[in-house]
Amino acid sequence: MTTLALALAYAGFTGLCLAMERHHEQVFGTRRVPPMRGSLFRGAGWLLLVISLLVSVLGAGPVLGILLWAGLLTAAALLLALLLAFTPRAAAAVALSPFPVALLLML
Amino acid sequence: MKTGFRQSMAWLHTWSGLLAGWILFAVFLTGTASYFRPEITAWMRSEAYRAGPPTPSAQPMVDALARMAPGGFTLLLPDGRETLGNAYWRESGAGRRGFREAILDPATGELVAGRETRGGEFFFRLHFQLHYMSPLWGRWIVSFCAMMMLVAIISGIVTHKRIFADFFTFRPRKGQRSWIDAHAAVATLALPYHAMITFTGLVTLMLMLMPWGMQVAYPGDPRGFSNEVFGRAAAGRPSGRPAPLVPVDPLLAEASRIWGGAPAGRIAVSHPGDAAARVEVLRGPEGRLSNQRDAVIFDGVTGALIAREGMTSGAAATHGTMYGLHLGRFAGPVLRALFFLSALAGTAMVGTGLVLWAVKERQAAAKAGRIGFGLGLVEVLNLATIAGLPAAMAAFLCLNRLLPAGLAGRADWEVNGFFMVWGTLLLHAALRLGGRRGWVEQFALAGLLGLGLPVLNALTSPWHLGVTLPAGEWRLAGLDLIVAALGALLGGAAILLARRQDLPARKVRKMAHGAAPAVPPTMRHGQAAE
Amino acid sequence: MTVGVALRVRGINESGGRWRAVGIAVRVAAAVLGGYALATLSSVALAVTLPMARADAVLTGMMAGVAVHAASAIWVFAARSAARAWGGLLVAALPLAAMALLGQWQATGRILP
Repeated sequence: MTTLALALAYAGFTGLCLAMERHHEQVFGTRRVPPMRGSLFRGAGWLLLVISLLVSVLGAGPVLGILLWAGLLTAAALLLALLLAFTPRAAAAVALSPFPVALLLML
Repeated sequence: MKTGFRQSMAWLHTWSGLLAGWILFAVFLTGTASYFRPEITAWMRSEAYRAGPPTPSAQPMVDALARMAPGGFTLLLPDGRETLGNAYWRESGAGRRGFREAILDPATGELVAGRETRGGEFFFRLHFQLHYMSPLWGRWIVSFCAMMMLVAIISGIVTHKRIFADFFTFRPRKGQRSWIDAHAAVATLALPYHAMITFTGLVTLMLMLMPWGMQVAYPGDPRGFSNEVFGRAAAGRPSGRPAPLVPVDPLLAEASRIWGGAPAGRIAVSHPGDAAARVEVLRGPEGRLSNQRDAVIFDGVTGALIAREGMTSGAAATHGTMYGLHLGRFAGPVLRALFFLSALAGTAMVGTGLVLWAVKERQAAAKAGRIGFGLGLVEVLNLATIAGLPAAMAAFLCLNRLLPAGLAGRADWEVNGFFMVWGTLLLHAALRLGGRRGWVEQFALAGLLGLGLPVLNALTSPWHLGVTLPAGEWRLAGLDLIVAALGALLGGAAILLARRQDLPARKVRKMAHGAAPAVPPTMRHGQAAE
Repeated sequence: MTVGVALRVRGINESGGRWRAVGIAVRVAAAVLGGYALATLSSVALAVTLPMARADAVLTGMMAGVAVHAASAIWVFAARSAARAWGGLLVAALPLAAMALLGQWQATGRILP
């Protein structure tokens, strides 16, 4: 559950990030973010962050869950900032990690 | 007006951060280590380590303590992290000097014979009361610096106008820009943690800082307030009539039932063996953030429940939660690891801030062609703090393995050794002023000590990685692994710095006015930030 | 003399040689000593006036005091001049002092402890 919440937080931040010109350029090579795509990224990003919060709270209870979520947000954001600086495309690819993690959890 | 405000805040951020920075770095780093205080202590006294789950019964320890401390004692019960029983009491009639401590084997109640060491307690105490001075002075100095930190955090938020736009931005290999990015990243990405830990840190010391409220509200009763909030069950007087102490395990179970299954953290017995005996069971950190007192009091002869004590008001809960959040003892392994990561980010925030000041000042100095005393001082202190302190901390752990077990005053020599190493590194930093070499050498030393620690441990202790990893003894293996990882990081920083070519010739020419030999900034790139 | 100097000291980033240094010193004193005084004063004022059990009131006052000191320090360096910085602290102190005295009087019938 914690891993899933972390993966979701990372994916959420990546969404917010890709809606920003500077990071959009790092990943897609063009600075201009198409408006539709921008709102989609931003919306998906926030949604994923909220789902990450829900997963944390479901796993650890309301109080510890929120604390856990805050810690996971920091970890995810630090990782994303580091990967973006050195391998931006890989950073974006890691955002897909919630899928395998969720699959593993279901098995 | 708006820009004026922001400029004022930028000034405030720079100076409050810089002037308190070196102490804050030490406070942050030793505080970070203190998240693993019981584990560090266990590692440092590994010959006394007891593997496996905690013993379910406290009776052997209580029986032994009742003989050792007939006036009463407090016993910290073993749990998932601490495997031994830690007890303390006050020898009657001995005043302040009568404080006694004992470490007990939970299975037999026998005293544990291990090497004399402060263990993780040393980092913990250093974190909030420094050393070689009265604890009171140390606490005031740390509080003062913590207030500077709080001010630096608030003014930093105001100064950093593009928090969200720059949220994920780190541009490596861009000199000063990289340092600004790194500083902003480790600060903003863990901002809730930094604000929480700084504010709650001041809350843990607020009784010392602002005592007048309680003096005015409790006139003529100086202890009234702390008795009410932190409470001690009135010990009463011994009756003089002997009566056997009630078995304690059922009392622990009963208290745990009252708390909805949460385990007890400690047990305090007064006048064991007397008809007036009392047993106070205190709730442990598990399952709640707050560390406020929650006690169940039993009659020490009949075992009858006398009272449940502890404040339940909102203010007490808020205070207890802040205190508990700062200590983080409630956190399980995952949350603890995340706290540790955020705390490292906090340490890096202070460190990058200190370096940033020096890098900026270097450029100004290069233009002026002259390096001032202030810049030199900052660079020496930066090196001795950012690279020197981790090296000295690793040396402290090494000394624990190297000093002979029978050395008189052994625990003190571990500590003295720590400060000797640190002092030597300060001298070294002063001798290597202005170049990159000092950083390479001290990072390399820290890296060697960190990476060498598991090896040294394997040569000197039965609990080395070859044993702890297959057995899954993470309580001990964790220290070897974390210290080695941090050592690898610092060693890596040393290698990167040593390989780095000097600035491109064009820039050097532009910067080198006159005969300033060591113009390139000591460190330019972000990789060494942590 | 000090007041006269302080009144002339302007914003913290305006250059002005020696006056600037004096202004900074006056502000540092305001932040460290004035801020601390205001923080303890608010902790006392809250401790004796908040309508809750006295231990709770004392705890709340202390926790608020920590925040008050940080806020005072920010105010001191944000103020347009060093004199205004001290002035602002004094203005905040007056009602708090009144609160503290009133609470003391209500509790004990005396103004001074």
